[in-house]
Amino acid sequence: MLRRAGLSLRHFLLERKSNAGYSSYSSEAKMSRPVQARRLEGIDKNIWVEFVKLADTYATVNLGQGFPNFPPPDFLKEAFARALGGEDHALHQYTRAFGHPPLVKILAQFFGKLLGRELDPMTDVMVTVGAYQALFCCFQAFVDEGDEVIVIEPFFDCYETMVKMAGGTPVFVPLRAKAPKDGKLMSSADWQLDPAELASKFNKRTKAIVLNSPNNPLGKVFSRGELQLIADLCVKHDVLCISDEVYEWLVYDGKEHIRIASLQGMWDRTVIVGSAGKTFSATGWKVGWAMGPNRLLQHLRTVHQNSVYHCATAAQEAVAQGFQREFTLYGKPDSYFVQLPKELQQKRDWLVQSLDAAGMKPIVPEGTYFLVADISAFKSDVPDVPNSDESYDSRFAKWMVKNKGLAAIPLSAFCCEAHKSNYNHLIRFCFAKEEATLKAANEILQKWKQEKTS
Amino acid sequence: GHPSLVKALSQVYERVCGRKIDPLTDILVTVGAYGSLFSTIQALIEEGDEVIIIEPFYDCYEPMVKMAGAKPVFVPLRYKNDGSSASSADWVELANKFNSKTKAIILNTPHNPVGKVFSREELQVIADLCIKHDTLCISDEVYEWLVYKGKKHVKIATLPGMWERTITIGSAGKTYSVTGWKLGWAIGPQNLIKHLQVVHQNTLYTCPTPLQEALAQAFWIDYKRMDDPDCYFYSLSRELESKRDRMAQLLQEVGLKPVIPDGGYFMIVDVSPLNVDLSDVDEKQPYDYKFVKWMITSKKLSAIPLSAFCSPETKRQFEKYIRFCFIKKDSTLDAAEVILKNWNKQTA
Repeated sequence: MLRRAGLSLRHFLLERKSNAGYSSYSSEAKMSRPVQARRLEGIDKNIWVEFVKLADTYATVNLGQGFPNFPPPDFLKEAFARALGGEDHALHQYTRAFGHPPLVKILAQFFGKLLGRELDPMTDVMVTVGAYQALFCCFQAFVDEGDEVIVIEPFFDCYETMVKMAGGTPVFVPLRAKAPKDGKLMSSADWQLDPAELASKFNKRTKAIVLNSPNNPLGKVFSRGELQLIADLCVKHDVLCISDEVYEWLVYDGKEHIRIASLQGMWDRTVIVGSAGKTFSATGWKVGWAMGPNRLLQHLRTVHQNSVYHCATAAQEAVAQGFQREFTLYGKPDSYFVQLPKELQQKRDWLVQSLDAAGMKPIVPEGTYFLVADISAFKSDVPDVPNSDESYDSRFAKWMVKNKGLAAIPLSAFCCEAHKSNYNHLIRFCFAKEEATLKAANEILQKWKQEKTS
Repeated sequence: GHPSLVKALSQVYERVCGRKIDPLTDILVTVGAYGSLFSTIQALIEEGDEVIIIEPFYDCYEPMVKMAGAKPVFVPLRYKNDGSSASSADWVELANKFNSKTKAIILNTPHNPVGKVFSREELQVIADLCIKHDTLCISDEVYEWLVYKGKKHVKIATLPGMWERTITIGSAGKTYSVTGWKLGWAIGPQNLIKHLQVVHQNTLYTCPTPLQEALAQAFWIDYKRMDDPDCYFYSLSRELESKRDRMAQLLQEVGLKPVIPDGGYFMIVDVSPLNVDLSDVDEKQPYDYKFVKWMITSKKLSAIPLSAFCSPETKRQFEKYIRFCFIKKDSTLDAAEVILKNWNKQTA
C-alpha cells in the first residue's frame, strides 16, 4: 500500500497536450459501434407507451390501461401516511432486501392458510417491485438460451418479451373460442385450451409454462379440470409453472380461484406471483411478491439482489398492515377482498349491458377487471386497409380514441406476431372505474350506435 | 419517470451541467441508483465486452457485469502515504487496461468506500482514454452533494466529448437521506437512455408514483434555493462534515490513522495498529472479515470489511482496512465514542 503510484498525473496531462491532433477533441465524439446489447433485440417496442400517450392526449373516457380510477381503501392509504409521517424514521431507510419482515410474515401466514401448508417467510416469500418484477426474476432465474417457455394466448404482453430477453423461445398455445349457447352472450369460460394441442407443445426443451388465472385480457378463470390438465403435463415433463395470480380476488358469479400450486405435485415446481396493486387498488405503489419452495425462490433472490436489491420500505409496511386487517376479516362481509369483487361485478354488468346495447359483442369475463368485446359491427366506421402492417384492431382502437374519445386496448397487443390476425376484431376494456366514468362510456357508445343507425 | 419528477430533475441538472436536458428522453427514473446501474449494464453490456472497474468498488458492479455476460477488469486505487490522504490511480496501469474489447469504465465519484473525490485532471485522463478507445463511461455519482471543504464534485459528463458516451447515475436515497424510498435516476444522451428505457419497460416498467411525486416536490423546493446555503444539498453536506471530523478524531484517539474522506459518508481505516490477533480463527477468511465479526460480537460496534469491495486478487491488499459509516445521529456517534474510548482499557 506504500507503493509509489506509478507515473504521475502531470505526466499524462503533458502527454495529452502533445497529441493535440486527436479528432477526439471534437465535441461531437460519438460511439461508433452498435452500442446496445443484443438481448434488447425484438423487445424494444411496447404497446403501452404508445397507447398510454394516445389516451392522455385524446381520451375523455379511458377504459384502456388497467388501473382503477377510484382510490384505494382508506385503511390502506392511512397506513401509508402513518408509515411516511410517523415516528419510526427507520421506515425511510433500507429494509430487508428480500422483503420487509412484517410483510413477508403476514404473506406467509395468509397464503399458507389458503394453500394449506406452512410457508417460511424468509425463504418461501420474496417481495418485488410489482408483480412485473417478480415475473422478471422468474424468467431471468429459470430461462436460458435453448429453453422453451409455453405461453397461453392471449397473454399479458410482457411474458413474450421477458422470455426473449432471457434468451429463451416463447411457444404459444391459444385459448380457442367455442360458440356460446343460442341467445347467450359469450363468456370467458367459452375460451378453452385444446388438450391435445397443449400436450403437443411440451417437449424436452420446455423449461416452464406461464399460467395467468384469472386471465388478462379475457377474464377467464381456469377451472380445476383445466388446471389439472396443465399440472399433469408439468409433472410428466418436469416443467416449472410460473403462475401469475395478480387478479386472484377478482372472481365473479360465485366462481372459485384455484391455486395450481395446491394441486398434487405442483407446489414444488410452481412460483406464484401476486400484486398489492391489484389486491388493494394501488397499482402505483408497485409492491408485488413471489411465493414458492426455497429451491426455486433462492434463484429469484439471486436475480433480485443483483437488479434492484431493496423495495421501498414504507409501501411494504403499509401493505403489511393491509394484509393484517384482511387476515382478521377473512371471509367476512367487511373484508376488502369480499367487497371489491362485489363492486366490480356490478361494474362488469353495467359495461356488458352498455356494449351489448351498442352492438359491440362483449365476452363476459369470469374474473379480472377486463372485458373483451367484438367490434365487427362497427367496422364500417374504420375501413380496412389491405396489406397494412398494422393490425385492424389496433387501427380501430386508435381511431376510436381520436374520434370518440373512448380508450381501449387492441387485443393483438396480447398475442404473438404470427397470430395477430386471429384477434383483429377484438378490443379490451377496463371496468375498474367510477360509476360516472362507466356512465360516460355508455353515453359515447349509445350516441355512436345512434349515429350508425340514423 | 413520473412527469413532475423528470421535469424537476431536468431543471436541477441543467443548472449543474450547463446543458439542456430533455426530461422525457434524457432521463430514466429507476428503483434506486442500483436499478440505474442494472438498467445501464443490461442495456449496454454483453458477452465479449470488458468493463473496467476501479478498486475498491461498490460490490454490485462486479456481479452485475458478470450477469450481463461480460468480463470485469480491475484496476486498483493506490494509497499515497505522503501525508495527504489521497488515493490515486496508477495511470499507466489504467491505460493498459483499455483495449478493443473495453465497452465501458465504471466511475464512482465521490467514491464508496474510500471517499475519494476525483479531480478534474483525473477525470480528464479517464475521459481521454474513453474517447481514444471509444468507450462508455458509467458514472455513479450518488454522493454528488456530499463533498467537503476544499473539494468540488466534477461531472465527467461535462468534459468535452463525454456527454455522448456517459450515463450519470444519481440517488434520492443519498441526496435526501431516504434510502428506503429506492428512487434513483440515469441521465444521458437520448441514444443511450433509450436502451435503458427498453430494459426498464421489460423489468419493472414503473416506479412507485406517490414517492416520485413527493420527491419531485422536494426537488422543486431545493431547485429554487440552489443559490441559498439552506438548500438541503448543501446543508446535509455541512452537517456530515462535522460528523466526519468527529469520527476521524474518535479513531485517532485509539491510535488509528483513518483515511479522511473528501466526500461521501464513509471512512476507512487500517486496524493493524490495534494488533488484534485472530490467527486462531478460520484462516481462509481475510483478516478484515474476521476482525469485523470479532468487533461486532466483542465490542458491539459494527463496520464493513474492505475486502468486500475487492476482487479476489486484491483482497489481501486491503484486508487490514474496515469501513465505517458516519451518517448517524449524534447519540450514535456518542455511543461509538464510548466503545472506542474503552477499547484500550479492555485490551491492555
